Amino acid sequence: MMPPLLATIRIERKDGRRLRLWLPLFLFWLIALPFVVVALPVVAVVLAVMGRRPFAIIAAYWAVLGALSGTDIELNGRRSLVAMHVY
Amino acid sequence: MSENRKQILAMLAEGRINADEAERLLAALDGSAPPAAKALAAGAPKYLRVLMEADDKHGGEVRSKINIRVPLQLLRAGVKLASLLPPEAREQMNAALHDKGVGLDINQIKPENLDELIANLKDVSIDITGKKNRHATIRVFCE
Repeated sequence: MMPPLLATIRIERKDGRRLRLWLPLFLFWLIALPFVVVALPVVAVVLAVMGRRPFAIIAAYWAVLGALSGTDIELNGRRSLVAMHVY
Repeated sequence: MSENRKQILAMLAEGRINADEAERLLAALDGSAPPAAKALAAGAPKYLRVLMEADDKHGGEVRSKINIRVPLQLLRAGVKLASLLPPEAREQMNAALHDKGVGLDINQIKPENLDELIANLKDVSIDITGKKNRHATIRVFCE
């Protein structure tokens, strides 16, 4: 299961102005990866000490992240349209 | 009749397993799943769509529209994550929901209940008439 790699945000105003943003999420994951590698064992130990199930919790968060792909939100109001799509 | 099926029936006849266990074993042999999972597999919906159309509060002809598509996998993952929340956090969430007038118990939301809900959620449409006779229509369906 892969985390989302790209997201787009589209804003269209009724007066014709448009803005389209491409957010390359894969760059964020690349930057975050070293920090995650260092932090994950610490988080796992802290959760274990607290009596939680570290692997189940980390797996559940990963599943949420991996399932984000395909999310589509479109808000069409009186003055503008805002749409977001996660790839 | 297959060899495995014969063995299960023989075990049942010998009293080594009871009828429920035999049924479960036979179902596993057939690759059968619970009815909700079966229904899901048949239609295989992937997304939950929420559409809302509401009268504009300024009274114009243009209606506000909200169109949200959420992967069902995300809902399942969310429910699984919610089940891992510590009991005290769930109690706080329940209390907060109760304060807002929502009679929902977080402890009752389980993955199997969600599958059943999805299997039965073909198309739900809700019409709301609010203050100043403003109308809103909400449609929820799986696709």
